[in-house]
Amino acid sequence: MLETQQDKPAVARRWDLRLYIRQQPVMLALLAVLAVICFAGVSGLSRVYHAQRAALGNRWFSRGVADLNARHFESAVTESRAALLYSPDNYDYQLNLAEALIGLKRTGEAYSYLVNLWDQQPENGQVNLELARIGAQRGQTGQALRYYHNAIYAVWPGDQEEKRRDTRLELIEYLLSIHAQAQGQAELIALEENLGDDPSQQQRVGDLFLRAHDYEHALGAYHITLKSDPHHEAALAGAGLAAFQLGRYPLAELYLQEAVAGNPDDTQSADLLKTTEGVLQMDPFRRQLSVAHRDEIVVQTFATAGERLKSCGIRASAATEPGAKPTLADSWAKLKPKISEEYLRRDPDLVEQAMDLVFSIERQTSTTQTGPSQTSPQTGTTCGTPSGADLALLLIAKLHEGN
Amino acid sequence: MDPAFNSLAGRTIDEGMSHDRPVATRPRNGRSPRALLQSVFREERFFLILSVFIGIFSGLAVVGFRFAIGWCRIYLLGSGAVLSPTRLLLAPTLAGLVIAILVIHVFPLARGSGVNQTKAALYIYNGYIPFRTAVGKFITAALAIGSGHSLGPEDPSLQIGACLASVLGRQMRLSRDRMRLIAPVGAAAGLAAAFNAPISAVLFVIEEVIGRWTAGILGSVVLSAVSSVVVMRWFLGSESLFRIPAVQLERPSELIAYAILGIVGGLASVLFSTGIATLRPKFKALPLWTQYFQPAVAGLLIGIIAWLGAPQIMGAGYEAMDEAMHGRFTWEFLALLAGLKIVATLLSFVSGTPGGMFAPTLFIGATLGAAVGGAEHVVLPHLSGSPGTYALVGMGVLFAGFLRAPMTSVFMVLEVSGNYSIILPVIVANTIAYVISRGLQPIAIFDVLTRQDGLELPSMEEQREEGILRVEDAMRPVADPVLDAQATLDQALRAAQSATAEELLVRLSPAGWNSVTKQQLGALAEQGKGGASLASLLPIRHIPSLHPDLPLETALRYVDRWPLVPVVSRADFGQLEGLISQRDVLERYREFGES
Repeated sequence: MLETQQDKPAVARRWDLRLYIRQQPVMLALLAVLAVICFAGVSGLSRVYHAQRAALGNRWFSRGVADLNARHFESAVTESRAALLYSPDNYDYQLNLAEALIGLKRTGEAYSYLVNLWDQQPENGQVNLELARIGAQRGQTGQALRYYHNAIYAVWPGDQEEKRRDTRLELIEYLLSIHAQAQGQAELIALEENLGDDPSQQQRVGDLFLRAHDYEHALGAYHITLKSDPHHEAALAGAGLAAFQLGRYPLAELYLQEAVAGNPDDTQSADLLKTTEGVLQMDPFRRQLSVAHRDEIVVQTFATAGERLKSCGIRASAATEPGAKPTLADSWAKLKPKISEEYLRRDPDLVEQAMDLVFSIERQTSTTQTGPSQTSPQTGTTCGTPSGADLALLLIAKLHEGN
Repeated sequence: MDPAFNSLAGRTIDEGMSHDRPVATRPRNGRSPRALLQSVFREERFFLILSVFIGIFSGLAVVGFRFAIGWCRIYLLGSGAVLSPTRLLLAPTLAGLVIAILVIHVFPLARGSGVNQTKAALYIYNGYIPFRTAVGKFITAALAIGSGHSLGPEDPSLQIGACLASVLGRQMRLSRDRMRLIAPVGAAAGLAAAFNAPISAVLFVIEEVIGRWTAGILGSVVLSAVSSVVVMRWFLGSESLFRIPAVQLERPSELIAYAILGIVGGLASVLFSTGIATLRPKFKALPLWTQYFQPAVAGLLIGIIAWLGAPQIMGAGYEAMDEAMHGRFTWEFLALLAGLKIVATLLSFVSGTPGGMFAPTLFIGATLGAAVGGAEHVVLPHLSGSPGTYALVGMGVLFAGFLRAPMTSVFMVLEVSGNYSIILPVIVANTIAYVISRGLQPIAIFDVLTRQDGLELPSMEEQREEGILRVEDAMRPVADPVLDAQATLDQALRAAQSATAEELLVRLSPAGWNSVTKQQLGALAEQGKGGASLASLLPIRHIPSLHPDLPLETALRYVDRWPLVPVVSRADFGQLEGLISQRDVLERYREFGES
């Protein structure tokens, strides 16, 4: 009886507790507690899950990087893809994959990844550079230039200045390859200002200036290189070529002689030196030349021009109609009897007259130095590219143009 | 607090307040703590709070589900991008055997995708889904997807969410009305977390499960979806599922290219759904013992397809979709992948393997879209769309064509890509695919599956397209004179002589309507009140008016109380458009039923 009385309140208490728990606010509080417990549990699982995936991703990424560096692009692509399974948004993984794809020449795929990366970090230098390269490969000049410029002003890891310089050099190479010399020249001038006195860089810039037909700047860049290394063969050859193109033949001779002396196998410089020497020897108007020597040169050059006409198959016409304009051969034949050292000594005006005709002959029978044989509009005859003495005379003609 | 607290929920604050409680315990504003609690925890408010918890628990469950799939994938198929042939063949086969045993003996309700089960809970089982179903779905679907069966995690997530919601609702002893609605609330939470797309999840549940927009449920669905997405993003990040560059249509004519994709996608949807509709009953009709082996055989065949060179079709396939968007594959291979994925998903689904069809649908759409885009680029190289654009549009196309959820398909594409610029091509292509699919396959796949299972759930598509009767369909024109309340009884009697109907409408001044019968008028005249105005003679009552565009069922609320109800213009309440009576309404319903 006593036990029953004691039990009753206990049953009632349990009943009250159940009722109490059934109240909505209490249930919600219990739910909140349960949610916190579940949240903690899932957080623990999440840590394990993410740690495992991060480890797997890093492992595959490391392999991908190693294979990319070893230029095993196929493996690098597979491994980068495996890494991306575990972290699809990882920037480095995607960039590695894109670079491997570029290595495999799968630029379409690489482009998709790179554009997404660019959306995330438009300031990333590497991504901009890769996009620029793809644009260049696809012939999309506007896009290539935009990304190259982005890359030049982008953020780079490590030596930022060096990366930017290299990027600009690559841009210049690209511009020159598409024959955009003016733009290339502008970029070169911008680059030169930030280049310093690094001889190898200056020499490379000099080469690029040469390709951009900016011989003055090219010569300046080579000078800087030669200041630090006076026997730099490539710089000597480049400086010689730049001076030659500028018509500074004595300077060109100086550089080219040293270049050929330093590197006898440099046939291009040797040929250029020969031409330069020809120019210097055959120019009758150069300073400090005695009258006798000058007349001797005029006679020689006149004969050379005559040979040029012959080699072009141009003969003097037998009968010239009155009022008809005389051909070069007619003029040469008419003047020929007067061109001797004796006549020239007596009539110095003949020097001018003779040399004018020589220059006319060389100009009109010449074609571009590197181009194929063409038909001269005046002579109507096919002449080969001038070389040797003819080339020297042509260069002398150009040198004295306007005088 | 007392046990009666629950029963008080739903009453007004005044009804729930206890008047004999000592004044000292009441706060200064006059409300007791109990009354305050009762007002806070009225059932509709409590349901909203509960929706947040449903979202949190569903989000946690879906996150765990994703972890489970990830681990199954690593331990069953390996961690690399290139899978070993042994694992390719063995993993889905052995997993299929285990799944079959679990489904047959332990979790019989875990079969299928889960969408129809959730609808059944709403319409048949009063919101009841056993907790065991969620456990079964979690285990078997994770095993199936992780081992490479061509199924997705979204529909199982939807069912897991619905199941958790059902369990919570039961524990909270919600009313039957609330319990019915709780499964869709959980479904939205599960789907939102699985897709990381709350808007699409809400739309899908409204479009495909509930079928109607009601303010009462919308708030709960939105709250649960948002809270589950917050939880999911807490653990898995907030990045959208796919990332493609912004789309720029250079010429409007380029939309034609996407329209072609819509046509191809619509046809592919029909092929896919016809395959499931045809093969599923045949597989189910096979002897019972074969069900032990059906998932294993399906797994083996999928493994063989993967081993032969298309491992991309295994599992949900999100990585392959991403690669397709980044132009990894040629258009010919993409078309092949789309075809193989249809085959693989058919095998997995009709064999009874638990798992969803959302991800395979997206896969087929993505690969088909990229293939069509690639082929179009061959013919018309100037088209500006990238493979990613076409793949993304293709996803929406299949979603609209196969799952028949056109609105969800548009928002789904926007949400999974985070890219609004694609909306025009998506709308064009999805609409075309939906129309083609609807034309060639009148019954949507979910309805087909329901009917194959012997259930008769309401078809949301049919509901959407069902004609609605309105007041204007039943009202009749005003043929008899309308009496003026200011007129005398004699004037009214003269006007009533020309009327054919017994009941006449009276226009009150300045506004309002009343009615009177000819008999009443005659009786009043006999009392010698011919000179008095009608307004002074008639009993004071105002007949409510209706508008022509209101649903006809609205009229039912009035026509039994009033013999004649005026139908007035919305622009001018004094302008009578027609009259409606109970007989008119019933007559119209009878005609509608007969037609």
